Amino acid sequence: METKETLFDFLQQQSGKLLEQTLTHTGLTFISVLLAVAIGVPAGIFISRRKKLSGLVLGFAGVMQTIPSIALLGFMIPLLGIGPKPAIVALFLYALLPIIRNTYTGIQGVDATVIEAATGMGMSRRQLLYKVQLPLAMPVILAGVRTATVINVGVATLAAYIAAGGLGEFIFGGIALNNTNMMLAGAIPAALLAILFDWLLSLLQHINIRKTRKMVYLLPLIFLVLSSFYLLPDTYRGKMLAGFTPEFMGRKDGYLGLRSVYGLHMRTLVISDMIMYKAAYEKKLDVISGSSTDGRVKAFDLVVLEDDKHIFPPYYAAPILRNATLTKYPALAPALNRLAGRINDSIMTELNYRVDYLKQNPETVARDFLRSQHLLQPAGSGTEGTIRIGSKIFGDGYILASIYKMLIEGYTNYAAVTKTGLGGTKIVFDALTNDQIDLYPEYTGTGLLVLLETPQHITDSIIGDKQKVYNYVSQAFKKEFDIVWLTPIGFNNTYALMMRKTDAEKWHINNISALTDFVNKRQ
Amino acid sequence: MIKLDHVFKNFGPQKNAVNDLSLEVADGETLVLLGTSGCGKTTTLRMINRLLEPDSGHIYVNGKEIRQLAPETLRRTIGYVLQNTGLFPHYTVSENIAIVPSLLQWDKATIQQRVITLMDKLRLSPAEYANAWPQQLSGGQQQRVGLARALAADPPVMLMDEPFGALDPLTRISVRREFKALDELSNRTIILVTHDVEEAFELGSRICLMNEGTIQQLGTPLELLRRPANEFVAAFLAPQRLQLELKALKIKDLWAWLPHQHSPGYTTTLSADQTCWEAMEAVISQPILVQYAQEQKILDSSGLMQAIAAWKN
Ligand SMILES: Nc1ncnc2c1ncn2[C@@H]1O[C@H](COP(=O)(O)OP(=O)(O)O)[C@@H](O)[C@H]1O
Ligand SMILES: [Mg+2]
Repeated sequence: METKETLFDFLQQQSGKLLEQTLTHTGLTFISVLLAVAIGVPAGIFISRRKKLSGLVLGFAGVMQTIPSIALLGFMIPLLGIGPKPAIVALFLYALLPIIRNTYTGIQGVDATVIEAATGMGMSRRQLLYKVQLPLAMPVILAGVRTATVINVGVATLAAYIAAGGLGEFIFGGIALNNTNMMLAGAIPAALLAILFDWLLSLLQHINIRKTRKMVYLLPLIFLVLSSFYLLPDTYRGKMLAGFTPEFMGRKDGYLGLRSVYGLHMRTLVISDMIMYKAAYEKKLDVISGSSTDGRVKAFDLVVLEDDKHIFPPYYAAPILRNATLTKYPALAPALNRLAGRINDSIMTELNYRVDYLKQNPETVARDFLRSQHLLQPAGSGTEGTIRIGSKIFGDGYILASIYKMLIEGYTNYAAVTKTGLGGTKIVFDALTNDQIDLYPEYTGTGLLVLLETPQHITDSIIGDKQKVYNYVSQAFKKEFDIVWLTPIGFNNTYALMMRKTDAEKWHINNISALTDFVNKRQ
Repeated sequence: MIKLDHVFKNFGPQKNAVNDLSLEVADGETLVLLGTSGCGKTTTLRMINRLLEPDSGHIYVNGKEIRQLAPETLRRTIGYVLQNTGLFPHYTVSENIAIVPSLLQWDKATIQQRVITLMDKLRLSPAEYANAWPQQLSGGQQQRVGLARALAADPPVMLMDEPFGALDPLTRISVRREFKALDELSNRTIILVTHDVEEAFELGSRICLMNEGTIQQLGTPLELLRRPANEFVAAFLAPQRLQLELKALKIKDLWAWLPHQHSPGYTTTLSADQTCWEAMEAVISQPILVQYAQEQKILDSSGLMQAIAAWKN
């Protein structure tokens, strides 16, 4: 038995990384807030003089803030690529509203008699601004900066999705891997940073107004220093750049395996799989971790590198159902098994490509596929019961559910309904065991590692052989859950390393060992 | 010193806030703009330091059309006192007083000297209050800081908009008394706005009574009382007429009607420039000696009353 790793152990092991992420996080937060102050305060001053524009400007900043953060980051990618640049711009846009609004209301809030007296004594507009309006509005402006900073500490966690680093790397890695320690190692420092910055800024805000006059000059300096943290960690630099999902970063059958088994050490960024493929295509990244049958592999002209030392377990898809369902609907298994062996990797990639990239309807794609395979039959009577088909929210799920629906309707007298989009593995599997759905397509690798939580030594002994994995999983499911795995469909939707086809051909890289040699030679 | 020439100003399509106003204020004179609230006093005042621009007409300060000067330059030569002081809450008392001299870039030592002088004259102990914040002072003290601030750069012209308006009645009387006695103000050209008739009679060399943006009468307090220009003026002064007469009338105005008595032994004296109101207050306890043009008379309450009655006829 391995002893369970505590949060403290994790923090100790990863202290270097934690420090780096914290500094990056602080830097991201303060660069963006600094920019927002540089733009937002003058904008606030401007609209306090041209009140007609205030609605427009505040409205714009308000709309920026209503865009969901992950979407805003997404919008930035076509414009600015991946990495710190788009993250800073997105965070800057978030920080803008509280700063513009508070500058505006702060200046509006200055006692009109004081303004009248200042003007009446012969102050110019500039003197009025610097000697009266800004100092008196300062507590309100600082409150805005405080709000913006706290918001940005939170939003900056999402920067990890677009390879800008920060504490989000641990948080999202932890969520993806269901590793609580990793998640907390990101979340707790992020919360502490928010509390710390909030507290420090609140001190500033309540300091004697006399001193805030000097603070006006000191504050940007402090922010500048904090911003420069962002530049510190970025010292290591190789020629090839890899982008891996947070989940991949922390998995044994992921980056950890790449390092220990292949000895592959390269500069890596953490990135969301939603944008990873495009980033590779746009040459922002050279190597990515993908899923081998994703439609975007084809769309963006990438190639999968062969896993010649077998660190990625096989992920063969097959429908799974409760034993009781098979007994109740005897015609079901033969109908479903008509698909067995029919879809290989490249066909699945093609089907995904049509749905993900060409945005075709999954039902249309499913129907076209069945027709081409001469499996499309007119629907039967549908009077002998109803079969509920589930699927997870990603890729293959929608298409396979549609195919199964048509097969069942065509080859049996059962009716079929689909319940797609059932979230992750855990949700859809619970739905199956609780008799809320009758079947869904699952992957052997997921069954092995996630649902069965198979011990390491067993996994290691069978991981290189897809048949052994299938046998082990179907026996164990039968025993543990009374659930049956039907025959695999044929494709293997495994983790894979991929790169641009042009690069792979130019440098003759066809498997991961070749990539490792290439990287080691070049660095 | 100050001249307004057919000045008009309106804020909307309805009626003019200031309607064809012409007046002149002589050097060293205190002119009071008097009238009910909303009659255009503040508007008139704000046009003189260009916080507002007139729709038409001309305004001259010191012989110069004010539009020839940059507004900031003009304003730095005009002291401005507001009803609610408008002290800077983020400046100390001494910093508040130093604002205009700093804008004029006086050297530090001169500014410091001037601040201390003014604080002394206005009975604000520099040791105690120089570094205090305005919020820490009483209303009367704040108003005196406001006055010191307006006087700091020694402006030839002062504009004061209801300077005592925000004070409670007792404080108002004492601050007003100090105000009258202040040598800093004695030779300055002042336009003072008030809606308080008594205050106008007490402080004004001349009074300009306004209604709905126009001048009803412009003259000395006595002229307004004795020869009201129209019904409005008479009606405006009627409720406090007796008191106003006593305040407007000076002992010297009554000299001819005061009985000739002389006996040695009275030492308390009163100046003939003081008002009947002040004389009445003084003679309540004992008769007093007044000297006017080489002549001395003893004043008691009955003699004073008879003289007033005689003057009225
Ligand atoms: N900025 C302004 N906008 C519109 N109307 C104004 C403004 N200032 C003054 N007024 C109007 O002009 C008239 C004269 O006002 P004001 O000069 O302040 O009166 P006073 O000082 O005698 O009480 C009033 O009817 C007032 O409502
Ligand atoms: Mg007024």
